[in-house]
Amino acid sequence: MTVPEPVAAAARSMADRALSWLHAHRALGALPPGTTEELADPDSVYKPLGETALAASLLLRDGVAGPGQLAAAQSLMEFTWDQFRQGDMLYERQLRHTLMTDPLEVYAPFVRCGFRHADLDRLLAHRARLRSVDGVELLPNRRLAAANAARVVGLDRETGRREDWDGMARATWLGARPEPWAINWITAYAMTHTVFHLTDWGRLPQGLSPDLTAYVRTWLPVWIDIWREVQQWDLVVELLIVGASLDEPYCRPEDWETIAALQHEDGLVPRDGDPVDDDPRQRFTDHQHTVVVTAVAGSIALARAAGR
Amino acid sequence: MTTRADFAAAADEFANRVLGALRGAGGTALVARHIDSAPDALAALAAVRVLGADTFSPHLLAGAPFHADDAAAVARSFDAFPTPVAGPSARPEERTVAAWRDWATTQLLGRFGGMDSPPAPPGPADDLTDTTDWQSWSVRMAQLATLATPGLDGPVHELARGAAFPLARGVTRSVLRRDFPTAVRLVRWLAWLAHEGVALPLDPAPVHEHVRLLGGASPRTALDLAVTDHLLTARTPEAVRT
Repeated sequence: MTVPEPVAAAARSMADRALSWLHAHRALGALPPGTTEELADPDSVYKPLGETALAASLLLRDGVAGPGQLAAAQSLMEFTWDQFRQGDMLYERQLRHTLMTDPLEVYAPFVRCGFRHADLDRLLAHRARLRSVDGVELLPNRRLAAANAARVVGLDRETGRREDWDGMARATWLGARPEPWAINWITAYAMTHTVFHLTDWGRLPQGLSPDLTAYVRTWLPVWIDIWREVQQWDLVVELLIVGASLDEPYCRPEDWETIAALQHEDGLVPRDGDPVDDDPRQRFTDHQHTVVVTAVAGSIALARAAGR
Repeated sequence: MTTRADFAAAADEFANRVLGALRGAGGTALVARHIDSAPDALAALAAVRVLGADTFSPHLLAGAPFHADDAAAVARSFDAFPTPVAGPSARPEERTVAAWRDWATTQLLGRFGGMDSPPAPPGPADDLTDTTDWQSWSVRMAQLATLATPGLDGPVHELARGAAFPLARGVTRSVLRRDFPTAVRLVRWLAWLAHEGVALPLDPAPVHEHVRLLGGASPRTALDLAVTDHLLTARTPEAVRT
């Protein structure tokens, strides 16, 4: 077995409690009334809503959570879909901003769970054929994010174009198999996202090539160690997702049990070692992302433990 | 009375002397001169114990002469500061490190005439065989970096040959933690492995240059870096490759 039993136990606890927290606090993540496709600050509410949908979609995809959790995940998909006006808002934003990738990326988790918006589908198919869209100068790990979203939405079938996954992977920091001692915090996040998108969040472990898999397996223990030491829990959990997404998962019980032990009874996982604010809204703003990635980590590890 | 600062100053002074000899400067009877010219003989003898096997590096790496006076001086340092024996105050892993460092020094001392018969290894290095906890294991290997030199071989070296990954992870961890003294010593082990022809998951040359630039300027660090330079680039004089 490649995912040890203590890891599966920790993963179940992490995923279940994280999802409960996301569900219980979903109203704090609602878009302000009157929000249109013109977002002054897309990162404030719009992006977190998309992340919540992502976590819920992966729990539903993996199907390894308990029945109550699956019902909560379904409820979160419906809540976030309603927030985006059943896709109208994503459609309007994509229509207004042809070259932006975020409407496509936010839409992908909904497609994963069978939510569709016909006009947006048509718009995305049109957009996918544009050389202008293909030529946008994205950071390599962001290009992978857009390519994976297009894969999930099915745009590759639409255009008949075969993505050069290997070439896109080579263009990233990870693709260079760089000196592992010269990584920094933001580059570590870029590295985790390269793995997330190449493997479609653990669904396609072989999406990460054998040489990059070997590289990650060699250095992931070090990166988890040093960011654990400085209590960068949000990044640590992302690194746990990376380990769980490898062809042969790297999941050390002590790492997973550390995060499970950090998790509050209500499901909150602190993003770092700083004190957690008492104000509910501030708590949501500060730690929502960490709870999202904790739910994702738990779901992927459970799926791998179940051999999926 | 000899203070902590006196001991540190003497160790730095001796490291500079050894470094100079390694680079071809200085005259003869390196160790004996260090002791004879020191204002504080006790601190000077302690410095020889601190540098341990590196005392011999000018001879091992650069072919500098090693005199009978030097051998006697190293032997005196053992009389002044015997190998610590098992006691309730010392942790087992600290005793292991001290014992292997002393084994390395006495091996070389025996070879160069300062002892009638070099002692047997303190054991089969059982405390060091398990690399599962590569974090603390690599820190202990850093403390044993004086063993990473041509001309010494034993159970610790055999372990190191099979531990390229834990050593490379230790290098990466210590650089990222900005623990450059530890990084410098672990890079020295990587360089020793490269010198032995062991395949490494990490190119030692760039990380060696990186820790040289960031590792501070202490004479003992400079000595580790100089030994690493030799391991990565220079050929060892054939005469001492016994």
